[in-house]
Amino acid sequence: MKRKDLFLLLLCALCACSSSSDDRSKDMTMPEISGKGIIPTPENCQAFGLGDTIRFHYIFTDDRELGSFNIEIHNNFDHHTHSTSAVECIMEPAKQPVRPWVYNKDQRIPKGQRFHEALFDIVVPKDVDPGDYHFMIRLTDQAGWQQLKSVSIKLVDF
Amino acid sequence: MTTFILAAALMVCTSAVNEPQMWPDTAVVLDDVTVTDRRQLDFQMHSSQSSVQVSHDYLQRNYSGSLMQTLQGIPGVKAMSIGSGQSKPMIRGLGFNRMAVSEDGIKHEGQQWGDDHGLEIDQFAVERAEIIKGPSALLYGSDAIGGVLNLYSRHIPDCGFEGSVQIIGRSVNDQTGISARIGGLKGKMFYNANMTWLDYSDYRIPSDSIQYYSYYIKLKDRRLRNTAGRERDGSVMLGYAGYRFHTDLRVSDSYSRSGFFANAHGLEVRLSDIDYDRSARDIDLPYQWVNHLKVLSHTSWQMDMFTLEASLAYQNNLREELSEPVSHGYMPKPDGTLERRFLKDTYTANISLNILSVECHELRIGANAEYQKNRQSGWGFIIPSFETLQDGLYITDSYAVHDGLKLNAGVRLDHANTHIHSYRDWFKTPQEQGDSIYVERSSELRRPFNSITWSAGINRRFARWLIKANAGKSYRIPIPKELGADGINYHIFRYERGNPSLDPEESYQLDLGITYESDRLTLQFDPYVNYFPNYIYLNPTATYVEGLQLYHYSQAKVFRWGLEAQMTLNLSTHWEAEVSAEYLYARQLSGPKRGYTLPFSTPWSAQAGLCYTFKGGFAGLNAHMVGDMNEIVPPEKTTPGHWTLNLQAGKQLKAGKNAVKVLFQANNLLNVRYYDHTSYYRLIDVPEPGRNLTLMIALDF
Repeated sequence: MKRKDLFLLLLCALCACSSSSDDRSKDMTMPEISGKGIIPTPENCQAFGLGDTIRFHYIFTDDRELGSFNIEIHNNFDHHTHSTSAVECIMEPAKQPVRPWVYNKDQRIPKGQRFHEALFDIVVPKDVDPGDYHFMIRLTDQAGWQQLKSVSIKLVDF
Repeated sequence: MTTFILAAALMVCTSAVNEPQMWPDTAVVLDDVTVTDRRQLDFQMHSSQSSVQVSHDYLQRNYSGSLMQTLQGIPGVKAMSIGSGQSKPMIRGLGFNRMAVSEDGIKHEGQQWGDDHGLEIDQFAVERAEIIKGPSALLYGSDAIGGVLNLYSRHIPDCGFEGSVQIIGRSVNDQTGISARIGGLKGKMFYNANMTWLDYSDYRIPSDSIQYYSYYIKLKDRRLRNTAGRERDGSVMLGYAGYRFHTDLRVSDSYSRSGFFANAHGLEVRLSDIDYDRSARDIDLPYQWVNHLKVLSHTSWQMDMFTLEASLAYQNNLREELSEPVSHGYMPKPDGTLERRFLKDTYTANISLNILSVECHELRIGANAEYQKNRQSGWGFIIPSFETLQDGLYITDSYAVHDGLKLNAGVRLDHANTHIHSYRDWFKTPQEQGDSIYVERSSELRRPFNSITWSAGINRRFARWLIKANAGKSYRIPIPKELGADGINYHIFRYERGNPSLDPEESYQLDLGITYESDRLTLQFDPYVNYFPNYIYLNPTATYVEGLQLYHYSQAKVFRWGLEAQMTLNLSTHWEAEVSAEYLYARQLSGPKRGYTLPFSTPWSAQAGLCYTFKGGFAGLNAHMVGDMNEIVPPEKTTPGHWTLNLQAGKQLKAGKNAVKVLFQANNLLNVRYYDHTSYYRLIDVPEPGRNLTLMIALDF
């Protein structure tokens, strides 16, 4: 009988371990990329001229604390498509890149923010290949959750 | 109690791992003769660690696409699937380099670190298996933290000539396969040879499309595009089995080639010009192929008071991963399709001396040495080339105080040296100041590691009860990816950065095992607690590097506990019911993800089954339930629970002097659409295979 008691005790100890261990509330939600209250740009299928500026305007929110965001632009001349939008844009015929535009910008969001309005201009170089591009928006929160948004844009040589 | 039995009877059953075997086979005959009705107790008395024996019969009855999927029904064991024909082993929630796989006593060395790399072992060549759940560094050295999967392919034929042929068909991926084996004994010399040939097409899932982010991927004929594959294995063994001296040499080769789901390689959704739908059997890009060659020699010399054993092995693991080249960031579009290539050579030597002394002590002294050389190439960089030399020395003692009490203890010393090579990009990256450069992704690193591990346990048997306890420390040296990675993992589209200052990972575990066995009832209950002072964790950070989220290796305190429980009830001479369940809890107690669980944590699961045995045959129905998984850590997704119904039946027929076994399985009978939390494809929302019928015909001659 004694031994049975010992096992019960051990079992209880095991259960106690689980309930007493660190269980402070964790961040279990992903940050969000939205256009709430603004007119977000760029939007899917939007066209820009070479040498023009792309206005970037989006709202980033998180329930705890935002982390960083990244804007990356690369060509979609091979139609590899990773759109997160239900709308499909009309694409130019597939082609080989000659001088494709590569843009990559990481930015840390100031500490402690749960709401961040990102607004800045990106200049499109004059001497790059026009055509279909992907405009990728990546956003993290402090916990390491990541949200993605992919927008298809078109660069036009006016 | 009666309600419990009733509930068990109403639910349905899986065949017990340790149940008496129905068909004659070398290992079985002995069992049937010597063992009366306390098989489980006798087996559990051997070691103070929690372990499970898996017979050849169990492997046949539960045959599945890969060895680990076959073993999945064992409480505490899990397969992390990569499509329908490959999977990685996991014991009590620990996989990758946190558990060891050994074949005939030699640690199997492939590219265990990769989440899309399977086991590369012919499951038809496996005679029997043993699963040790818990720290096993003492005999196996680094890596055996979560446990060890011991596979035994060595087999001494009973007669002049024997053989078997197995033919397999599976419906979910149109798999067809044949495996044949011959063996013979002449005087004291013996030989064995086996060959396996498997082909399968894209597997079916109970869904017309996959939704990942807001991207819809339509599927043709409900098949997961480009997941077809093939496997070719063979082995030859020659040996001498004398009264005191035994030696054998086995050469085996395992080759497999399998496709990755075409529309989302890693986490990126991709469209391609390849016409994947022209055939469900072809393997297009992206795909992987791997060849594992193993030469293994084993010698033992048995005297009255001692046994001397020596094993030597050479392993060559060659893997290529091919995909359509794409530009990314400053990397231009590569010329070829070879994304990654790994060539690993491993040389292993084990020697051990068992001394039986008069005082009921069994002393074992042993040494292991292992040298690994890994070379990488291809346009995608993930791990640097490296060499590692490890050597260990151990001593264990097992003391049988009396029939019902056994004590054991052991200690081990290990030393390892890792040399990581420098790696630079093959393309230039513009710098803020100065010219573009070939960025160095991994810098030259030489690090020594030392470790002391130990284990101690007690087994106590009282009539029908057996209680055992084991405490042990295990460790593993950080792998080169953890120390030296610094680049984009194109498979998962993230930036991974190693940490050259990582310490060897240590783990302390306390295991208990309680067994009860009577004529009608067998109970097995295995709880454990486990603590890591410095678990090596790939932490997703809030930072971006080169456009991708940075994952950085860090170390955290981790606490885990869990249990497995199993009950087998012989209702009558024909009917047997079985229920089993497992649960695992994990928490990070420090570090950036304090409060979170560990990646790939397994949800609770339970099985209930009922089995009917008749002359030369059996039929069983089994329900498998898996709980919701809401304990996740970025970037995982919560996974809802599910349950599936499975059927198994078999019959042995006589064909002249030979025996023919016909085995049938129906998995996921109700064609339930569900997700497996630890599947490679979980992150892109690919459900698990639908209804699957398996037929195996085995002829022994």
